[in-house]
Formats: sequence, structure tokens, C-alpha cells
Amino acid sequence: MYDSIVLRTVARFMLPLLFLLSVFMLIRGHNLPGGGFVGGLLAASAIILQIIAFGPDYARQAIPVSHLQVAATGVVFTALWGLPGLLTGQPYMTAFWLPEPIPGIGKIGTPVLFDIGVYLTVIGVTTQLAFILAEEPLFYPMRKKATPSEPVAPEA
Amino acid sequence: MLSSMVLLSLASAPAGLFVRRPHRHLGGWALALIPLTLFALLCTQIPAIIDGASIRETYAWVPQMGLDLAFTLDGLSLLFGLIITGIGTLIVLYTSYYMAEDTGRGRFYLYLLIFMGSMLGLVLAGNVITMFVFWELTSVSSYLLIGFKHDYPEVRRGAQQGLLITVGGGLALLVGLIMLGEAAGSYAFVDILAAGETLQAHPFYVPAVLLIFLGAFTKSAQFPFHFWLPNAMQAPTPASAFLHSATMVKAGVYLLARFYPALSGTPLWTYALTAVGAATLLFGSITALRQYDLKALLAYSTISQLGTLTMLVGLGGKYGYQALVATILAHALYKSALFLVAGIVDHETGTRDLRKLGGLRRSMPATAALAILAALSMAGIPIMFGFVAKEILLKATIESALIDPARYAVIAVVVVSAALGVAYSWRLVRGVFFGSPGSGMKPHVHEAPVGMLLGPGIPATFSLAVSLGLLPLAGEFLTPAATTVAGTAVAVDLRLWYGFTLALGLSAVAIGVGAALTRFERQLVAWPSPLPGWLNSDRIYDATINGLLGGATAFTRATQNGRMRVYMLWMLLAFLALVGPAFTLYGLADLPTPSFANLQTYEALAALLIPVGIIAAIRARSRLGAIIAVGVVGAMMALFFVLFGAPDLALTQLVIEVLSTVFLVLVFAVLPARFEELSRKLTRARDAVIATIIGITMAGVTYAAASNRLFPTIADYFKAESLSAGKGANVVNVILVDFRGLDTMGEIMVLFIALLGIYGMLRLGRARRREADGQPARSYVDVPTGIVQDVAPVNRVEA
Repeated sequence: MYDSIVLRTVARFMLPLLFLLSVFMLIRGHNLPGGGFVGGLLAASAIILQIIAFGPDYARQAIPVSHLQVAATGVVFTALWGLPGLLTGQPYMTAFWLPEPIPGIGKIGTPVLFDIGVYLTVIGVTTQLAFILAEEPLFYPMRKKATPSEPVAPEA
Repeated sequence: MLSSMVLLSLASAPAGLFVRRPHRHLGGWALALIPLTLFALLCTQIPAIIDGASIRETYAWVPQMGLDLAFTLDGLSLLFGLIITGIGTLIVLYTSYYMAEDTGRGRFYLYLLIFMGSMLGLVLAGNVITMFVFWELTSVSSYLLIGFKHDYPEVRRGAQQGLLITVGGGLALLVGLIMLGEAAGSYAFVDILAAGETLQAHPFYVPAVLLIFLGAFTKSAQFPFHFWLPNAMQAPTPASAFLHSATMVKAGVYLLARFYPALSGTPLWTYALTAVGAATLLFGSITALRQYDLKALLAYSTISQLGTLTMLVGLGGKYGYQALVATILAHALYKSALFLVAGIVDHETGTRDLRKLGGLRRSMPATAALAILAALSMAGIPIMFGFVAKEILLKATIESALIDPARYAVIAVVVVSAALGVAYSWRLVRGVFFGSPGSGMKPHVHEAPVGMLLGPGIPATFSLAVSLGLLPLAGEFLTPAATTVAGTAVAVDLRLWYGFTLALGLSAVAIGVGAALTRFERQLVAWPSPLPGWLNSDRIYDATINGLLGGATAFTRATQNGRMRVYMLWMLLAFLALVGPAFTLYGLADLPTPSFANLQTYEALAALLIPVGIIAAIRARSRLGAIIAVGVVGAMMALFFVLFGAPDLALTQLVIEVLSTVFLVLVFAVLPARFEELSRKLTRARDAVIATIIGITMAGVTYAAASNRLFPTIADYFKAESLSAGKGANVVNVILVDFRGLDTMGEIMVLFIALLGIYGMLRLGRARRREADGQPARSYVDVPTGIVQDVAPVNRVEA
């Protein structure tokens, strides 16, 4: 998209960093500022950065998942963690917790897993939206197919 | 037992899906055991019901609302239940042969068994709400069955029409039932039937009865709502025989009969039902004679019989009740047999058109014999059960309590229709089985297999056997049903010979006239329709649907014309219309005067930057400038969150700001380069005024909401419980994922649905462009299917 060597270099090593940051945000969210929503946005911005720097084709190959499916999985995943309550005869979404916290991660319970679903949904939706906009031929009629080894030609 | 019967039938429906292999019938025979078991179970109850007992079962459903799931078995529901399961057994068996080549048989069985369970639930229901749920389920399963071969547009139209008409009537019915329930003080049939006098004096009586009529008339295809039934003949024949003749279409009559003890006796009830029923009877008989399609002929004949039943519910009287139950039974027997015969003929010859058929008595002698038996019963020829039923029907009209001109009119309608019935029965049998071999048939037509002949064979045989030897038994069996309808004891006295009565004379006249009419078959068929052209309900339906769609399209085009600013305009105006007046009237007076005592300088500076950013965005000439200015507003908002101790919100707001800017950059290429050319000065001035008013209102509402404390705040509870109950120190997040987790789930679903919407719009745009480029157009149905496959790539069919 934007043929800038600086942007591309930064984008390349920001990808793992931003992903790590997003997971960090997700995990710490239950006790400190953060959470699934902002974590998801950060992860999505990591992918969107690749779209901006290298174009959507490269970004698709670098992260070879269907973002629509990630979003769908997230929605189903959140809904899933309400079920234990129902199965034990309590209201939907009654929380269940492991008795002891796991070192380095913290307490694990259904609300935390629920948050992971939110995280996935936000990543999927945001990234898919960016892909839709970036791949729309109406907006970018000149765009050519590109491969990772052969960067996209600069656009006017 | 009753609930488990309904449950068994519904729960075993998926078993139908296992019937897959073409030309194998073991699965069909095995499936037939389900309705057969239910039939046998119901049969065991016959002695108890004849003794006057009735079985009731009640389960708490929504106890908070006093709603029960209630089931009742009495004479009327037993009669219907036996018809449903008995004919159901034959239909399930027959389907296996009729659809032997079809690999989609399993799906058909699934729908069929769901329908059977719903219909059983409908007739066994012990309160009106339970009944209504099953009522709607039958409409839905009927839709699925009519639309079984959904590749054809006329099939889809027939299915949709049937659904819209019956469900539309169902909505009216629901309102009527609720009014009835409220007036009676209970939703149970027992209580409603006991509250007859209260109900008839209640102001709800007339509207409730009219609404219930609407529901019953649409379901039972009464004139002028009859038109969906012939179109429903697009269903595979076993479904037509089962739903659209023997069972579902009688649901409306069932409901009216069920309410008879409580609601009848008023002129409204008697005359409305008699008039509509008689009109339907006459119209159906005349139209049936003019059909060339076997199934269409049978469909109109069914309409006329449904008219008879409705009329009988209206007439009532000692003979009315007897005629009602006898006609229900007789019609279920001969009509299902005839439909199944039509299916056999269609299956073996490849056509149902009377003009192409003929002479089949040589190649299909057994089918011909069964068809003749059933048709004789339909025509009401002596010694058939149809004759017995018609004798009582004539008696019921003669002895009815109508005032005289109306009574004569009804008698005339019945006699004329009976004559027409003779004529079209003859036309059917002669056209298919006699004369020279038809021209449009498959070569080498041969007799159907025995398993298939069982379907029409058993009811056709019964049409004769009942009247020859089983009349006393049948009378005893029908007595509780007639008693249920009447509300008082009525003995059903069925006889082949009542002596030389007026009814016998009229019956003879009808048969004679009918036989004479057959001489003029060609002229009668060529007669113009009895109704003027504009009164074609089918066309009125089409005009209504097209009008609705056209209106919706025009409205959508006007409000959502693809321009964001127009969408915004309508949304904001709607918001203003809803909130503005209430706020000006009630909110404005209570607004406290703001105090700036605690205002810090940096807060004021941050606050001032927001309007600066807004004004800059408005005045920006270039797209880049506008994006930056909007970004400033967002950043200042984030700053406020930090200042007022909401780090979570600040964090999210900042990331959102960044992402919005990125998204704007992504669509940069299509944003207008210079904004002011987009709209005229006047339009901009209008938008400015609206925007200002909205802004002030919104600010006022927010201020009022923040400064009024109508309720104690819940924040303290959340703060106190966050760590102990939610096991997290971050209150915001604990609220999001635990306390208000359901809200979050709703929100991310909205997010996902919005994504699907955008995704679908994009696919649609691509499909349209491909079409515009002259490339092969794919159907727009591909768009939703494509989305589903992208989301969940299971079961993807590779061409």
C-alpha cells in the first residue's frame, strides 16, 4: 500500500510485539486496566499495520486464518461459557472459578474464558472490516496481486 | 401419556432423515411404526372415551404467568387424533414408494413427522396457548412441506402464500384467544367452555369471535381465503393428502367446533359461519368441476367440504353435530384415498392432467377399483359412507333453526353442491380410468406396488365397509365427539335407511341432477368463472404483496439512499422526535445550574480543544485536514477519561481513535477531495441547524442524566462485590465479563452481525458488478449461502 522501507521494517517487528501486548492486556484485564476488548483491538491493529505496510495480500498470507471465522468462533465461545451455569441448574452465565490461581496467569474461571471470546470476536470483526475496505476493488482499482517475496508496486 | 405421545412424534422426527437409499422400503415401513404406535395407543382409549371419560394432563410451563402446558383427550380430540395417526401411518408408508427415486426422502419424512406431532399437539391441547403454539407449528411445517421442491418458483410462491395466509390468520387468532382468555379469566379450554354465558355478555365477545373466525377461515381455506389451498398443491402428493385434505385444513373447523358450547347461539355465530360456509361450499363445488388438474379438482372439492363443515358448526342442532363428525370422518377417508390415487396416477403416468389421461382401468385395475370406491363415497352414492354422511347433512339443513328464506337457501346450496359433487366425481373417474388411453402418458403404464396401494386401499375400503357393516360401531365411536361439540349428550345414529324422508328425496334429486350434468360436462367446464375478474383473491394477494414490497422499497430508497449523511439525518431526526419533546417538557425545568467551582485550568483547556477540533473538522476543505481534526476530538475525549479516573475507557478510546483514523485512510481514495462541492449551501445550512439542535438536546439529556439521581447508584454494589464475587480488581472489566456479561455478549453479537451485513453488502456489490460486466450472473441467493459457507465451512458442496 505505502511503499515505505521505514514503515515496513517497523511493521515487521511490531507484529509479534503488538500480539504479545494484546495477550498481556487480555490477561491482566481482570485486575488492571485492559481486557478482551482493548486486547482484541491491539491484536487487530497489529494485523492492520501489515495491511497498511505490505498490502492485504501479504497480510493474508502472513496470518493465514479466516477472520470471519475467528469472529464467529469468538461469539460462539462467549456463549459457551454461560452454559456451565445452566447445566448445574443455576442461571445462565453463573461464574465458575478454579480454586487456585495459575502462576503467571492468575485466576482462571468462566468470566476469563468469556473475555477470550470477546477478544477473538473483536480481532475477527475489526480485521475483517479492514480487509473488506482494503480489498474493495472500487476503492483500489489499480491494486495488483502481490506475494511476500515480491512487494506490492507503489501506488500513485 | 398425551404429552409423551406428542413428544414421541416430535422427537422421533429426525429418525426420518435416516431414510436415504432409493428404492428401499424397509426404512419407510419402520417409520410407519411411529404413527401406528400412536394410533394403537389412542385406540386403547376408545372404550374409556365412549364411557364419557376424558383425560387431562397439566404441566407448569411459565408458572409466573399462570401458563400451563395442558393436554386433554376427549371425544373430539380422539376423533381427530385417530384420523391424524391412522392416515399418518398410511402416508408414511406410501411416501416410501411415491418418492422412491428421491434422495431427499429423509428430509420429507422429517417435515412430515414434525407436522404430525404438531397436529397431534393441536388437537390434544388443553388450553388455548398450548393449542396456539402447535397451530403455528403446523403452519410452519406445512410451509416446509409445500416448499419441498423449492427449486421451482411456483413451488416457493405456493409455500410462501400458504404460510403468510395461515400465519397472518394465526396472528388474528392469537389476539382473539387472548381476549377470550382474559374475558373468561382462564386460558384452559375447560374454564372457557364453562364460562359461556359470561363470555357472550362480555364486550370482548364480538371482537374475539371475529378474530377467531379469521384464524379459522384462513386455516381452513374458507372463501375468500381459499386461494392458498389450490396453490399448496405444489406439495408432494402425500403431503397434500395428509395436510391439505385430511388434517391441517380441518384445524380451523376443529377450533370452531371446540368453542361451540361456549360461543355459539348468537346470530353472529350462526349466520356468519353458515354464510361463509355455504359460500365456500358452493364456490368450491362449482370451481372443482372446471379443473383439469387432478389435484386441483380434489383441492377445490376439499374447499367445498371444508365449507360444509364450517356451515355445520354454524347451524348446530341435533343433526348438525352428527353431520359434522360423520362428514369429518367420511371426508378424511375418501379424500385421502383419492389424493393418494392421484399420486399413484401421477407417479405411474407422469401427468395429472385430465386431458392427457384416460383408459387406465386396463393397466391399473386395482387403482381404478379403489378410485371408484372413494369417488362413489365423495359423490354420496347409496351404500357408501359418504351417502350416510350426506343424508344427515341434508337433515341438519332441513331441521336447522335458521329463519325460513335463509334455511331454503342453505338447502338449495347443499343440493346444488351435492349434484356438482356427483358430476366432478364422475368426471374424475371417467377422465382417468375410462375412455380411450390418454395421449400424454408415459409408455408402459403398470399397476402400483402393493405397499403403495395400501395407502388409498385402506381408507377406500373403509368408505364402503363402515356403511355396510360397521355403522352402529361408527355411531358409537362418533357419539363422544358429537357430544363434545354440542356440550350435551348427542347420540350419533347412523343408518343407511332412514325411511322415505325429505332428505332421501333431496339426495335422489341431487344424484339425478348430477348424473344429468355429466352429459353437459364440456359445456360446464367451458363456462366462465362464477366470480368477476377483480374478485380473484389470488390476484388481490399478489397485488397486496407487491404493494407491500414496492412500498417498502420506495421507503427504503428514500431514507437509505446509499449516502451516509442522509442515513444520519433520518436517524438523528427520529431521535429528536422521540427524545426532544419529552426533554423540553419535563427535563428542562429540573436542570440544576452548573457550578464551575472545582474546575481546573487543564480541564478547561482540554474541554476547549474539543469545540476547536469540531469547528476545524467542519471548516476543513481537504479530507486529510478533516481526519486530523476529528482525531483531535477523540484524543481529547480520551484525555478526559484519564483525568476522571477511567483508564480502561481512555485506553480503548485511544486505540479506537487510531483504528478509526486507519479506516478512514483505507477509504481515503474514495473520500471526496473537496467537501464543499458535495451539497448546496441551503442544504448545509439546514444540516447545521439540525446538528446544533441535536447537539444541544444530547448535551442537555446527558447533563440531566448525570445530575439527577432518581435511583440509588449501583456503582457501590459493583465496587464492593467486584473482588469478592467477581474475583477481579478491575471493576470495569468484571462488570463487562461477569456482572453484565449478557450485555457484552449481546454487544459482540451486534458487532458480528454488523460485520456480516458489511460482508454481505460487499458480496452483493461484487455479484452485481459481475453481472454488469456481462459475466454469468449468479443468483442473489448465492450471497447469503456464500456468507454462511465463509463463516462455517462445513458441508460445503463442491459442484
